[in-house]
Amino acid sequence: MSSAVAALSPMRRRADVVLGVLMAWHILLALSLIVGPPIVLSSLAAPDLIAVVLAIVALLVGVLSALAAVFIARRDHLGRTLSLTVNYLLCLGSALALAHLLGVFMGLDDLADAMARGIPYLLLLLVIIGYFISTVEVRERPVPAARRALGRVVMISGGVGFLLTAGALSALASLPSKYVVGGWLPFALTLVMLIAGYMLWRMSRRDCAQMLGAKNVHSERLSGWLFLSPNLLGFLLFFAGPLLFSLYVSFTNWDSFNQRDWVGLDNYARVFNLSVGLLATPDQPLRDVMDVGRYDELLRFSAFGQGILIGAEDKRFWIALRNTLVFGLLAVPLSVLPALLLAALLNSQLPGMRFYRTLYFIPSVAAVVGVALIWQWMYNSQVGWINFFITSAVNFLNALLGTEIRDPQIRWLADSDYALLAVVIMSAWQWVGFNTVLFLAGLQTIPRELYEAATVDGANARQQFFNVTLPMLAPTTLYVLVTTTIQALQVFDQVFIVSNGTGGPGTATLTMTLNLYQNGFQSFRQGYASALAWVLFIVIFVFTLVQFRRQRRASGAYDE
Amino acid sequence: MNRTYRPIGLMAALSLVLAACAVPTAQPAQPAQPAQPAQPAQPAATQPAAEQIVLRWRTRPDNKEEADVYASISDEVSKKLGIQLVYEPGGSETASYQDVLRTELAAGTAPDVFWIPGTDIADFVQRGLLLDLRPYAAKTEGYSDANYYPEPMFHLTYNPETDKSGETLWGLPRDVSTFVLYLNLDLINEAGAPDPRELAKEGKWDWDAFKQVAEKVNALGGDIKGYGMNAWWGPFGAFMNAAGGGFFNAERNACNLNSKETLTGLAFLRELYNAGLAVPYGEDSEPPFRAGKVGMFQNGRWATPGISTVTFNWDVVELPKGPSGHMGNWLFWGAYVVNKNTKHPEEAWKLVDALTQPDIQAKVAARGTNIPSRLGETVFAEFLKILPEKNNQAFLNGLADKPTAEGPLWTGSWPDFDRAMGAKVSDVLTGKLSVEAFGQTICDEANKAFNK
Repeated sequence: MSSAVAALSPMRRRADVVLGVLMAWHILLALSLIVGPPIVLSSLAAPDLIAVVLAIVALLVGVLSALAAVFIARRDHLGRTLSLTVNYLLCLGSALALAHLLGVFMGLDDLADAMARGIPYLLLLLVIIGYFISTVEVRERPVPAARRALGRVVMISGGVGFLLTAGALSALASLPSKYVVGGWLPFALTLVMLIAGYMLWRMSRRDCAQMLGAKNVHSERLSGWLFLSPNLLGFLLFFAGPLLFSLYVSFTNWDSFNQRDWVGLDNYARVFNLSVGLLATPDQPLRDVMDVGRYDELLRFSAFGQGILIGAEDKRFWIALRNTLVFGLLAVPLSVLPALLLAALLNSQLPGMRFYRTLYFIPSVAAVVGVALIWQWMYNSQVGWINFFITSAVNFLNALLGTEIRDPQIRWLADSDYALLAVVIMSAWQWVGFNTVLFLAGLQTIPRELYEAATVDGANARQQFFNVTLPMLAPTTLYVLVTTTIQALQVFDQVFIVSNGTGGPGTATLTMTLNLYQNGFQSFRQGYASALAWVLFIVIFVFTLVQFRRQRRASGAYDE
Repeated sequence: MNRTYRPIGLMAALSLVLAACAVPTAQPAQPAQPAQPAQPAQPAATQPAAEQIVLRWRTRPDNKEEADVYASISDEVSKKLGIQLVYEPGGSETASYQDVLRTELAAGTAPDVFWIPGTDIADFVQRGLLLDLRPYAAKTEGYSDANYYPEPMFHLTYNPETDKSGETLWGLPRDVSTFVLYLNLDLINEAGAPDPRELAKEGKWDWDAFKQVAEKVNALGGDIKGYGMNAWWGPFGAFMNAAGGGFFNAERNACNLNSKETLTGLAFLRELYNAGLAVPYGEDSEPPFRAGKVGMFQNGRWATPGISTVTFNWDVVELPKGPSGHMGNWLFWGAYVVNKNTKHPEEAWKLVDALTQPDIQAKVAARGTNIPSRLGETVFAEFLKILPEKNNQAFLNGLADKPTAEGPLWTGSWPDFDRAMGAKVSDVLTGKLSVEAFGQTICDEANKAFNK
């Protein structure tokens, strides 16, 4: 026992020293990150948003670092958790910043571009082949040593060959110059990355854990967070971050380039600003009723004998909203109801059903742009297949029955009465397959016993469908409805392609997202476009909420 | 993967990152700053050696063949200038070439030199995205603004701060183009209509003659149409111009779409559509033309390579003259410009200058897509040898008959104006709105584009 204590003592002493160093590191870090950012910010003439956000993040990390030092001093396991978190974030952040400064991301992008063209990149295949040679067991016999060695040689030579081809040697040679060109920052980042990395590794060792009283449950919790961190950080950086940024932008007049003044709720006011005027005569011009420098005519109608004119500051928003809602009202049922029927059909045990399941799913995996271009061609009123079939059918009927049915010669994409319908048909065709698969999955989870019991009770096929299948499919139906509605309210690719980005003919296919795109990326009114995006979010949120409420009520009714 | 392979995997990942460092990516540009007068280039001694300079440049090719031509030109110019050039074919017009470019400029990842259409020059300049090349041009032997068509140069040398032209230089025109009518001679002959080329030679090619030819071809019946154009501002704008009207007032700071002349042009077009003589407005007219179902198809020089592959007899004729006594044609143009944040302004200028030299323009024009932007008998003579040899003069006639230059809006937002105009014209030409109602309301809407 005494020898064990004696053996522990040097370890404890060493751990004490390490914890002292860690504490000093965290105090230094806290001081730098709490005091540094305000000094840097005050030295900037006009700090931009990114500088302010970075300063806030630095302050937060600084506070965490200070807390880590305090808890380490008190030998509390919380100090370990905080220290590991701070050093992990610091190491990762410095590594990413360094990679950015050295042009690694741009380089990787170019490498990826070159990948498709360069035969030398096939050398990477050798690495995979080598791995299989050295690991794949035949009939559960252990891999012979010779084969393992051969696999390793193939793998290494493939890897080395690829790296040489990709220019790793020249990269190594150019690295010092990149550091020199970058000034002091790459060196500082490298230093911070290495120190934070070392501190991270040291704190994760068993002796520090024991000294701070960390238990298995704490380590497990940390491991959990560590595994979660790539997703979590990705979510914060690439989803939550831009989301909050767009909310901020919606209160500015940002144009992506120079201008970014705070305008408060002006963008939202412009979106919703309507003016109502009373008309003396039904055809009285807009300019006699309201300020044409601000409003465009949106609607004129008569109520109780009085002509009324509604003007909008942004007419295109209201048109886009109407088109989007009409699109949703048509496209959702057209892609959900046929999907349900198809799923019921494909759920049968008839031969060839697997082939049909694949066939119906193909449109869902086809690229939207390609599909839209093909449909655009098919919709051509002169040389398109759709009108060709309609004309052929009309001619056939007229010849057969002696009728004089007129060929409608529908101008699918050129007539504002049909253009949106054409996009609805195209979209529904593409979405049906995916919804069918979802319904099919739902159908296959319904216990057979329910149908057997219903049969025993004398229910026919129709009654079984409405009283067993539909109620049991309610959760799937809700999911399909919600996702399809969201998809419909965000429709963009199809209308962008078929209208060449205009939303035409006229404004017949102008949807919310296309209007948003035109404002944000053609006129570069990013502030206004962000406000439109948030309005669209609210619209989608309301629709989804209503669907959830209805579903809850419906499932309550089923439960009763 | 067992412990043996862990170090290999780590090394591979690390080396991949290192390899990425080695890729000769051009240095990313910094976020754009407001436009300021450009500084002359620094003395050569402070510049890196020419061999180390990498310049990225981009155009909007219509197809792979055109992209290949630019790629070979890039190699040639690279050798001539001793600069490493990376040519990036941009997306097509429908792939939002300019939107992508502006987004890249905002992100600081745009190329050093790029091509943009004439209408976009003002927007790019006023956002401070382009480098004023005048100081570099002033030092270049043999350079003169007068080497190029004056209409594009008016806008390319316009200084928005002083409202005067000739002071700055935002780029050099890569090419020019103009509308012609591509003719399906087989259909026209079959319909017994007079040959538009002969009418043009005799000076009888006006709107009435044009309409008569369209009617005769249309009378062939079935799904044959006399005329076709695509749905954007160029085609209908030419008819407005030909009637003596136009989009803007003389100062280009207010809408002119409600003028009597402009409405006359629009009314003539509406008659064509109402009578069913034209491919429905909003549909791409090129597929039916190529399928041999349209007698006359209005399009620019850029359509020539595609149309040259049709199986029927075809040729081109200039646009018919309208009530103003002119064709009302456009002088389309686009320019090579330099990213304001390029690290190598001197070399970027040299590249722009090299790309607009006669020999390079001749190579691009040989594809049949472009008309050289330089003036001069030699250039014209060379151009006339290119496809379609029979009647290439029609393009030059279009450029000679007082064309209206595709012009940027220095006092407003062109996308906003275009959207307001395009939607209403579409309504008129698809029969949803009368010309009178168009005239009463269009300028109230379109004038808002000038208030931004």
